[in-house]
Amino acid sequence: MPQAVVIVFKSTHDVIKAKNELAKACIAHELIPTPKEISAECGMSLRLEEPLLSKALDLFQTAGVRYRDDLL
Amino acid sequence: MIYFDHAATSFPKPKEVFEAMADYFFNIGANNGRSGYRMAIKASELVFNTRELLARLFQIKDSARIIFTKNVTESLNIAINGFLEKGDQVVTTSMEHNSVMRPLRYLEQRGQIKIFTVQANREGLVDPEAFADILKKEKIKLVVVNHASNVTGSIVPLEVIAEIAHRHGSRILADAAQTAGAYPVDAASGDIDMLAFTGHKSLLGPQGTGGLYVREGIELLPLIRGGTGSNSEKEIQPDFFPDQFESGTLNVIGLAGLGAGVKYVLEKGVSNIRRQEMKLTEMFIKEAAKIEGVELFGPGGMDQRVSVVSFNISRCAPSTAAYLLDKHFDIACRSGLHCAPSAHSTIGTLPQGTVRFAFGCFNNAAEVEKGLTALAEISRKEYCKE
Repeated sequence: MPQAVVIVFKSTHDVIKAKNELAKACIAHELIPTPKEISAECGMSLRLEEPLLSKALDLFQTAGVRYRDDLL
Repeated sequence: MIYFDHAATSFPKPKEVFEAMADYFFNIGANNGRSGYRMAIKASELVFNTRELLARLFQIKDSARIIFTKNVTESLNIAINGFLEKGDQVVTTSMEHNSVMRPLRYLEQRGQIKIFTVQANREGLVDPEAFADILKKEKIKLVVVNHASNVTGSIVPLEVIAEIAHRHGSRILADAAQTAGAYPVDAASGDIDMLAFTGHKSLLGPQGTGGLYVREGIELLPLIRGGTGSNSEKEIQPDFFPDQFESGTLNVIGLAGLGAGVKYVLEKGVSNIRRQEMKLTEMFIKEAAKIEGVELFGPGGMDQRVSVVSFNISRCAPSTAAYLLDKHFDIACRSGLHCAPSAHSTIGTLPQGTVRFAFGCFNNAAEVEKGLTALAEISRKEYCKE
């Protein structure tokens, strides 16, 4: 079972944008409440399998999705 | 009832607007941007989708640059108060609504800013060169223009004024209250720095919705600060869009309706809506001009106006005419100053104002004919002398 990674975003706007981009590219993902070990954010984060991370980040870069790379 | 008050708010709304609001009310209900359960995700998606639809309508590349407000007045207040600083100078026109003039005059009274005004002609039209004349002589930070007047329906050439403003190092704020959804508004090719709009007029959404587009690079301070669901560990306001300007719970049910309204406008097409509304406007103006005692205001050319028409009936106060139209002819319209005293001063209708018919995309020719018949009767009747 590959390791899961959690991506935290700047704004909820970016979470939904990220989710839409991943869905369009058929990349499996799940929205989850941001785990408190990662950040005290009260919003949502996105969980996916580690091997999919670089492809996901490429997509985010292209689409202008603002994620917290300091928390990756 | 014949409804000719679309410049105030549109009625009826498409049934899809009600359905979207009912769906939110019965099936979603949660707040956006605060939690991660499925209901909350749906609410966040809904707000996101409305933002995306607006970005498509206004040709805005990044929808995060659109912030939601409760109406265009709030949008204009954020733009004016958040952008201007002590010592700044502003150019505006004599056709502005009080939603622009009151925040500007407030800053002026406090000695914060200086206002220069471009005088429109009697038809409510402004000459773009008049902006250039001021901008050449004065250091102007912001040009504020009403895209179309809520009194005369006259349109300003936004792109031309934006180009002049930028050539002189100024920024432009456009008030699209009367144009968004009824006339093409293109923030990209129009080179607009800030665009204020309301959701409940030609975007066909419910009251309590509006927004402001702010181009990247514009430094703006929010009017209010508070919880945003982001950066929650800090007691300092986020400095990114849209969260910086959306503190507190959003009007999600209203935004559900606004999204459906904008979708309806996009599907129907702004140019088709405009063609339909202007056909009625042209018919009304052409026939009303033939009625003895009716004086029409605003530009004669249909390409210079939106579907807002001001008129007066001789020997009949605007308030009386509006009362008679409602009581005897079942026609809803607005009379008076329409919150734009300087526009009435420009067209010579102070202090009594005008009667205003504003046609919407659900009006038809038969209704306009009834309106014309009513005007003809009122202009003949003795009771107009009251």
